[in-house]
Amino acid sequence: MALHASHRLMFADLSRMSAASQAERTVLEEEFKWLLKEEVHAVLKQLQDILKEASRRFSMPSSGLESQVKQENFILGSSTMDQVKGVLTLQGEALTQADINIKMAKSNQVLHFTFRDDKQWKIQQIQDARNHVNQALQLLASRDEAYHFKTGAQVNKLMDAVMLQLTRARSRLTTPATMTLPELASSGLMKMFTPPMPGDVMVNFYINLSKLCLTVYQLHALQPNTAKNIKPAGSSVLHNPGAVFELNSTKFEVSHVQKVECVVPWLNDTLVFFSISLQLCQQLKDKISVFSSYWNYRPF
Amino acid sequence: MICLVRTCSNSLYSSTENMSGNSLVLPIVLWGRNAPTHCISSLLVMDDLATIITGCHDGQICLWDMTADLEISPRGLLFGHTSSITCLSKASAGSDKLYIVSASESGEMCLWDVSDGRCIEFTKLACAHTGIQFYQFTVGTQREGRLLCNGHYPEILVVDATSLEVLYSLVSKISPDWISSMSVIRSHRTQEDTVVAVSVTGILKVWIITADVSRMQDTEPVFEEESKPIYCQGCQSISFCTFTQLSLLVVCSKYWRVFDAGDYSLLCSVPSENDQAWTGGDFIAADKVIIWTEDGCSYIYKLPASCLPASEHFRSDIGKTAEGSVPPLVYSIADRPDKQLLICPPVTRFFYGRREPFHKLLVQGDSGGRLSLWSIPDTSPLQPLSTTAELQVSSTISLQEAFDKLTPLPAGIIDQLSVTPGSEEPIKVTASVYIPSQGRLVCGREDGSIVLVPATQTAIVQLLQGEHMLRRGWPPHRTLRGHRNKVTCLLYPHQVSPRYDQRSLVSGGVDFSVIVWDIFTGEMKHIFCVHGGEITQLLVPPENCSTRVQHCVCSVASDHSVGLLSLRERKCIMLASRHLFPIQVIKWRPCDDYLVVGCSDGSVYVWQMDTGALDRCVMGITAVEILNACDEAAMTRRSLAALKNMAQHKLQTLATNLLASDNADKGNLPKYSHNSLVVQAMKTNLTDPDMHVLFFDVEAVIIQLLTEEAQRPNPTLVSPETLQKSQGSADKGGSFLAGKLFKQVKETIKENIKEHLLDEDEEEEEEQRRREEKSKSLSLLEYNLTMDTAKLFMSCLHAWGLNATLDEVCLSRLGMLKPHCPISFGLLSRGGHMSLMLPTFKESMFRLMAAGQVHVAGGRKMSASEIVGKGTYGVSRAVTTQHLLSVISLANTLMGMTNATFVGEHMKKAPARPPRPGTPEIAKKTPPQVSNPAMQGQIKQGWSQLAAMHCVMLPDLLGLDKFRPPLLEMLARRVAGPLP
Repeated sequence: MALHASHRLMFADLSRMSAASQAERTVLEEEFKWLLKEEVHAVLKQLQDILKEASRRFSMPSSGLESQVKQENFILGSSTMDQVKGVLTLQGEALTQADINIKMAKSNQVLHFTFRDDKQWKIQQIQDARNHVNQALQLLASRDEAYHFKTGAQVNKLMDAVMLQLTRARSRLTTPATMTLPELASSGLMKMFTPPMPGDVMVNFYINLSKLCLTVYQLHALQPNTAKNIKPAGSSVLHNPGAVFELNSTKFEVSHVQKVECVVPWLNDTLVFFSISLQLCQQLKDKISVFSSYWNYRPF
Repeated sequence: MICLVRTCSNSLYSSTENMSGNSLVLPIVLWGRNAPTHCISSLLVMDDLATIITGCHDGQICLWDMTADLEISPRGLLFGHTSSITCLSKASAGSDKLYIVSASESGEMCLWDVSDGRCIEFTKLACAHTGIQFYQFTVGTQREGRLLCNGHYPEILVVDATSLEVLYSLVSKISPDWISSMSVIRSHRTQEDTVVAVSVTGILKVWIITADVSRMQDTEPVFEEESKPIYCQGCQSISFCTFTQLSLLVVCSKYWRVFDAGDYSLLCSVPSENDQAWTGGDFIAADKVIIWTEDGCSYIYKLPASCLPASEHFRSDIGKTAEGSVPPLVYSIADRPDKQLLICPPVTRFFYGRREPFHKLLVQGDSGGRLSLWSIPDTSPLQPLSTTAELQVSSTISLQEAFDKLTPLPAGIIDQLSVTPGSEEPIKVTASVYIPSQGRLVCGREDGSIVLVPATQTAIVQLLQGEHMLRRGWPPHRTLRGHRNKVTCLLYPHQVSPRYDQRSLVSGGVDFSVIVWDIFTGEMKHIFCVHGGEITQLLVPPENCSTRVQHCVCSVASDHSVGLLSLRERKCIMLASRHLFPIQVIKWRPCDDYLVVGCSDGSVYVWQMDTGALDRCVMGITAVEILNACDEAAMTRRSLAALKNMAQHKLQTLATNLLASDNADKGNLPKYSHNSLVVQAMKTNLTDPDMHVLFFDVEAVIIQLLTEEAQRPNPTLVSPETLQKSQGSADKGGSFLAGKLFKQVKETIKENIKEHLLDEDEEEEEEQRRREEKSKSLSLLEYNLTMDTAKLFMSCLHAWGLNATLDEVCLSRLGMLKPHCPISFGLLSRGGHMSLMLPTFKESMFRLMAAGQVHVAGGRKMSASEIVGKGTYGVSRAVTTQHLLSVISLANTLMGMTNATFVGEHMKKAPARPPRPGTPEIAKKTPPQVSNPAMQGQIKQGWSQLAAMHCVMLPDLLGLDKFRPPLLEMLARRVAGPLP
């Protein structure tokens, strides 16, 4: 009985609502048209401007003319406390020069390494982020003022595609690749240096957020019949002292880990641009969704 | 006492668990009238031009059959990818195996059998592939199938086409970068396989794959032979001229260019007109290319003489900038008017049939799930070249059109209850939850109402013909009204955890409200209005949360807010609403009293549940680590939230649970997985209405039948000996295969019997407990769930129309019902992959029959009912195997039971219960007295005939050309399988 009463109440409520919503509906439709015709393009223009600015930061080499990309030096580990010091030269996405001093924990002796002249190290994270931004820009390129959006779904689809690229671009910089220690040991990076890296030192370069990071692992070989329980460490960005791994049937243990880093200002800019762009996209989607939930709202 | 019941029921479950290790689960789909959204993102035509494959933005793959006359009809949908399909490629060369490989935006790669949609192999990489090409490299005297992959990484990965393992990679020494597009060619001159690719920065790279390289197993990289800047940025596609092998077409968005395939010098360059963006192209003859645009138009150009190796002017323009001159247009293929409504650019591809009938096909797939085909003629039009001829579309169909053409229209799970007077269209089901303990399905609809209905009975109405068709408002149901608009999610918390009241049902709507219902009285208990957006998810917090939180449900809304709604206190105890991006995932850290919210942009918010304070908000590695830590903690106890989420693309979990293959936490799996029937609502796209998949666990059906049989007053009939005897006759006539089948079935049944005979006493207590629960609860019509399930399943599986006498026995004596139309079955494969037949799958079979000069019964047309059941045995060997195993093992089980007919009084209630006064009568005529021994004998004979027909006579009845024999290795696996 109570149920019936509440039903009646609800239907009365509804009829009142549908009358009111008729006028409201026309206003909403007008507003939605404005949204598709004006607002969407304004947002897209703004997005394009921001992303072009972001793309410019990556200073993409125009096929072959790499000499035009400017070189920047970064000093990692400037404090006197640091056991590791490095001067790295970044040219776009590549580390062209490196000058690393490592104070060995065992001997207290300082080792000095530089990149071989014929080698440079491409930082894949930067190249990937740059390519993702350019893909986002390509998606936006063909949707200028001349393009008429007819439905909210078209805008949503475009936003989804752009946001996917931007999320990828950002996450490439914010989440460095995880590697196992044997992967790191056999990586091409170990063969880049002169004098060659000794077998008990490993280095790794990566980007974390806007920082260029250098990690140095000092190892010591374990006795073959050591009682230590060998449970190989999995993939990680940064391994802890005590991690154990096996390479060419020799077991190693990480004895010391040093990490030094330096902020790359232009990477910080790009991260800010990515975040702003993502928010712009989401806000546009949210605006569209307000209308589409109104359209769905039909009295039964 | 209760404690005892618990433990013994657990032992039953864990023993069935062992068997379900390779259990037989058959899906049946009720698609409903709305075809799933299929926004095409990639497409492929198989070499024999008999199948087209399309991948969509939501991750499904559609198989379309194509006849020699270019008629197309969709056949099946493949599920398993979790994100947009980025590329498709064939993965086998011969005509005996038809394999394809698909890749998705999230780095997944799957190998599928096109004939039945089985997933053969799958793998996942960290980066997404955007292009895959199948190529057979010569290794010694053999040809090895390899997949060359490029994507969001700077190498070309060479992958084994059967194991999907990365064998080696092609690497650049000079300015390595992502590869936009690539092509493989076997040079006539050098007899070497050559891979040519263009990087995103416009540098052309050449790798030579020698026999030594192909043989390589280690991951030593292969460096490029040549690296040449060709200044083609934003390259969309590259393709060699297959006719001469002397030129290369490169399409970029603003121009297309032809290069000499020998030294890669530029032969001609053509800019795009009117701001059009080119998205691809190919050679259609030695002197003609077809180029298509982003908005779906295509143009066929005749190449200038400087590009034609046969011409004396070949290479005459090298060095001169030919930019600006547009070669003569032969044909244009314009867009249709309805292209306006497309929500994203269509996908266009050109395919050249390598076998009869040698069609040159332009294929386009669009966001509306539409495929269009143009057959490209070899001759130029007769008109003067000044007026460009427009090529007419040869064939076009969308998924929805294919659905609309069917009579009867594809059934939805509660269509008969949803057609309002004066309207053709049934009200769409927008959210569903199945309550297995009651066999009841709860459907929320677009008008805000919620319908509770017995699942098997509503499925019987939709799938099978019978008296029920005449009844209005059948089956008995209850409607809950309260939401003002679309119901977006439903949750039955008691199913997840017994700590919740079994009366409570929670629903969320587009009207921002969350409503708590008493399902037994239909009363609305409470309305929560705390969110500022439509409700998108309803979840249950894990066991070890604080007592206060344990009586809450968690609601997520589209305004990016999360609430903890206490069902006990009837108030919202926490609302977390500062998220900038839509909420993707909710995780828990009960020991720290944390609610962890993962947003679509990768950010993670950690909320204190007690105080509602934001503990922290993080991004990057920390965010990933926090989410992973929650997963690890949750691994020890599986929350049913996972099963709830399934509706949103989490099919993975579902199939793993159903198959219960190698789960570490098997013992803690919800009761769910042991039910003979699970109804799972799915939608491929959030905007779609629900479609429903009925998962039948054949072994569970058998166990339940035997359990109920054992509870009968007179259980003497069931013993392995009697079973063996009754099988004797069939065994003698059976082939090797039949023998194996029987052996398997016997073993299974023996095991079942052993188990439940051991557990018998406790079983009864369990039954007692269940009955007590039921008598409290049920206010709707009572019915025998197990027998109903068996009836539905057997009626769907039986090959109707092959033996008229047997059909009559099935209908009248065994009480089976004929299907209205072909049943859409599915096939589960490992790793949570699944293929489902579309309701239109028979269309192509009709055509095949018509084309194959098979005169059925003297050339008369076959009626729909005649081909209703036969088809599934002609689909594929894997399907045949599963269906035969199911039908024969069930028939054998039923043979050994008393009263094993689906007509009569006993169908209305659970066994051994006195008839309740006041239950509506189903059948008017008095049913035959089933306890009569002669009658019993006839029923047994009926089942034995049914088993014999499927076991022995099927190949003869269907004709060998239409029968796909079962896979012996699949049978062998089951026979040798780890039985307890």
